[in-house]
Amino acid sequence: MQDYEVFVQQLITGLSNGMIIALIALGYTMVYGIIELINFAHGDVFMLGAFLALTLLGAFGMEAWSPAWKFAGVIMMLGGSALFCGGLNWTLDRVAYRSLRKASKLSLLVSAIGCSFICTNLGLFWGGLPMGVFAGGVSAAAPKDFPQITPQTNLLGESAIRITQADVMVFFVTIPLMIGLVLLVNRSRLGRAMRAVAQDSTAAELMGIPVDRVIGMTFFIGGALGGFASVVYSLYNNTIGFQMGYRAGMDAFTAAVLGGIGSLPGAVLGGLTIGCVRAMSDQYLESRWTNTIVFGILVLILIFRPSGLLGSTRREKV
Amino acid sequence: MKSSSLLVAISALMIPLSLGAQQGESKSVAPSLSHGGTLRIVSSLPRTGSANAQTSTMVNGIRLAIDEVGGQVDGWKIEYEDLDDASPQRGNWDPTVEAQNANAAAKDLSCVGYIGTFNSGAAKVAMPILNRAGLVMVSPANTYPGLTKPNMGEANEPMVYRPSGKINYFRVVPTDDLQGAQAANWAKSLGATQVFILNDRELYGKGIADVFQRRAKEIGLTVVGFEGTDAKAPNYRALVTKIKAVGPDLVYFGGTTQSNAGQIAKDLRSGGYEGMYMVPDGCFEQAFIEAAGDSNLNDMTFITFGGLPPEQLTGRGAAFRDSYRKRYGADPEAYAAYGYEAARVVLDAIARAQTKDRAGVLAAVAATKDFDGVLGKWSFDANGDTSSRVMSGQTVKNGQFVFVKVLGD
Amino acid sequence: MRWRPGPITLILASAALVPLVDLALPESLRISEAVRGVFLYAILALGLNVVTGYAGLLNLGIAAFMAIGAYAFAILTCEIYPFQIGFWPALMLTIPIGALAGFLLGAPTLRLRGDYLAIVTLGFGEIVQDVLKNLDTITKGTQGINPLPGPSFGGEQWTSSNELGWYYLLFALLVIVVMAVRNLERSRLGRAWFSIRQDELASRSMGIRVERVKMLAFSTAAAIAALAGGISASVLSSTGEPSNYDFQVSMLALCIIIVGGIGGIAGVLLGALVMIGLNSIVLVKATAALAAMGIGGQGNVLLSPNNWKYLIFGLALVLAVRLKPDGLLPPRIERSIR
Repeated sequence: MQDYEVFVQQLITGLSNGMIIALIALGYTMVYGIIELINFAHGDVFMLGAFLALTLLGAFGMEAWSPAWKFAGVIMMLGGSALFCGGLNWTLDRVAYRSLRKASKLSLLVSAIGCSFICTNLGLFWGGLPMGVFAGGVSAAAPKDFPQITPQTNLLGESAIRITQADVMVFFVTIPLMIGLVLLVNRSRLGRAMRAVAQDSTAAELMGIPVDRVIGMTFFIGGALGGFASVVYSLYNNTIGFQMGYRAGMDAFTAAVLGGIGSLPGAVLGGLTIGCVRAMSDQYLESRWTNTIVFGILVLILIFRPSGLLGSTRREKV
Repeated sequence: MKSSSLLVAISALMIPLSLGAQQGESKSVAPSLSHGGTLRIVSSLPRTGSANAQTSTMVNGIRLAIDEVGGQVDGWKIEYEDLDDASPQRGNWDPTVEAQNANAAAKDLSCVGYIGTFNSGAAKVAMPILNRAGLVMVSPANTYPGLTKPNMGEANEPMVYRPSGKINYFRVVPTDDLQGAQAANWAKSLGATQVFILNDRELYGKGIADVFQRRAKEIGLTVVGFEGTDAKAPNYRALVTKIKAVGPDLVYFGGTTQSNAGQIAKDLRSGGYEGMYMVPDGCFEQAFIEAAGDSNLNDMTFITFGGLPPEQLTGRGAAFRDSYRKRYGADPEAYAAYGYEAARVVLDAIARAQTKDRAGVLAAVAATKDFDGVLGKWSFDANGDTSSRVMSGQTVKNGQFVFVKVLGD
Repeated sequence: MRWRPGPITLILASAALVPLVDLALPESLRISEAVRGVFLYAILALGLNVVTGYAGLLNLGIAAFMAIGAYAFAILTCEIYPFQIGFWPALMLTIPIGALAGFLLGAPTLRLRGDYLAIVTLGFGEIVQDVLKNLDTITKGTQGINPLPGPSFGGEQWTSSNELGWYYLLFALLVIVVMAVRNLERSRLGRAWFSIRQDELASRSMGIRVERVKMLAFSTAAAIAALAGGISASVLSSTGEPSNYDFQVSMLALCIIIVGGIGGIAGVLLGALVMIGLNSIVLVKATAALAAMGIGGQGNVLLSPNNWKYLIFGLALVLAVRLKPDGLLPPRIERSIR
């Protein structure tokens, strides 16, 4: 491989990984934007979405389907996981967060940490289902193979640079979702209500906006984005496990903060930055230092831009 | 407020007094050394979190060994307790919990055998504690050489683990220095010339990868890269591009299924790497094949293991394989075999012990000689290591491990 | 006026009695060793409480300072390094070393607010782990450093078997930390911390040097966490591996202070008892009891009690903040302000 080919390949890898991180980060940042909660359970909701996708795949035997049907299968998984994760996130809000709206932010944080543990445990149980795709559920905790239903052939033929269907799929799913989300937040009635609640929930309530319902919807949409992300992640990486939510959540959280927490374009930019920094650090430095470099860059950026790359510079509490 | 805090203070004072009365009684429960009492064996393995899959098969092996002797030896009832050395907040082995387990076992005089640990780091915590207590410890999984072998680890190892000066720690698994070197030899005989070495930056994975690297250089292989990976990363595509750019014909990964050996295999294949992939016994389990997907492993993956695989076993090993299969509905894996072997060593020692107590069992374990086990016929050497040098090489065909050859010195 | 013991005194007094209670209990019910873990986490959480509770700066990387303390202690005492300065000097040195580390992290990040600060501390926690892992020529990487000495009294070196000794040593350290933190809380600096937590801008206009005060909160917390790290390494006679000081530890410390009642010492002590007690006493004993009844171990994933630990721990957290949003023992100062 030529040097420039290596660079281009790493860029493709970085952007694909970054897009997935960005999609998860969007769910984080929406919830944060509206109630200032670092939703630690988000990564684990995402993980359960991936388990649902694998269950659907196994239950319908999608591996044996023809390519056109596989495409329909992917749509079905995307829809199923999005609804499921959205519903789960909404339920968590209803059960574990809503009663804490008036309490301190930190109590809310602990409730989210608790939900994260509960979801992790549910993932462990889920991995024990006696299904073929979970290897009969014999060892529940083991990582699960998510069968490749998008082929891995190189779309560029004999070129040393590889772009596979998986890479293309990542962009085809995430970009429309992001555009749709921006439209939803900026153009729709619900979006306007969400922005109003984020600005000042008391004032919004006085103006007749059903604040709890809007927050609930935000959790649903944030969770649904996590659900979409879980299917994209699973199709791209082909392995899922009950502890994957921790890392996914951590990356997404970092991306959301890097971009300016609460900002939708910021979350995307943050995700892409992290994806690319990881890839370049693996290539040109040593992979054992990659985490240090990612967080080092985060600290540097925050020192110079204390509200993240695209965050608002509005000061708290003034 | 006032009365309630008074109540707390009073009850805090009352507890020792009220229970003090029973003290005499509880002392009489101390183990009677007469024939026919109860002896306890405990295992201390990480049962919560990511190692759960491996340790479950290990515990299966231990239970099988105990049930095979009917839960008793020489009229002594054998009680087994499966202790967890992980904690939910850590999701992995926790040094504080491991120390607790070791201290509890050390104090309980009816406990005559401690099977553990899984992680060599945990062994470092437990070993001095159990050594002072004179309680025998048999590990089914620790492979860090410095725990037993002088001049392999730090200058003060292994004596630092033996404050009493006596040896109480034994292991049924071959150490990293043996397996890593054998793996490098095998890589050469498979025709590799350029190797890229990865490690998961854990004690086991890094240790074995270091040995592999050293040996590879000795026997004339070119090491074109040595990288530590991030065990929690979602994929290794960037690393695979780097690997492909330097064009090795073999990639060695020092790590386990837990530390993402399966994902690495996947990314190597999907990234278009077509060379060989070699992993150590931490991956010799069905879960590895399931995590990686058959098609990513078939024919080009090589696994080393410190014993013979189930289908090659004869005699004792074959019987183990059959009864394990009958009971658990699956073939025993590396970890099951190690767990079973460790438990049998302890049970066998209890049977041979002159006195059925800690000292007796310890002496009997140390004297284990020509043990007819599932890992071959072996003895413990002066360091407490298995004398077995039998290592086998496996590959994967059609989603199954297939025995290739015995790796010799 | 008659002296009435406050909740702190009561909690500490009951803790002092645990080994006596244990003498009376059968082996399987004894808890004093697990209570040592409670003490360690209580010290760590008291440190975190300074920065997050008093000064209101969310710190998600307190475990990093614990790691720094543990490794500093190890490098200063272990026989494979040239220093070998002994238990007491090394333990005392962990405090300034921790404070310095806190200063180094705090200095560049003082401008950051709220959750931006949180992510930087989280990132710092990850960086420290990576550095400890990767600089293996100095830190021995994932091998951990051992053996580490305990204190020696009357020429006799303590080992792990000196249970009562360790128990009361940790207890004494906890009492010292409690007294130190209590004095800080009531000092001028403590009032400045409360003030910037309530309103930074107002505090600044009242003449409080906000940066300096924040800096001191960071350093104090880091120093206490480093002390907890040093003593825990000594108890275990090993640093363990770098990932023993990961984000999970920081999170647990945070849960302790919030479940207990953020900002108050008694609350933190009770929080440590409840959270660590649940994990290392209740769950452990319950698992053992279930195992003795023949439940668990094989087959179905749902049947093994170990597989339920995350769920129970998570439920406990959710329920605790749901039922007591201000913590089990919220500090009184907080109430008077509201």
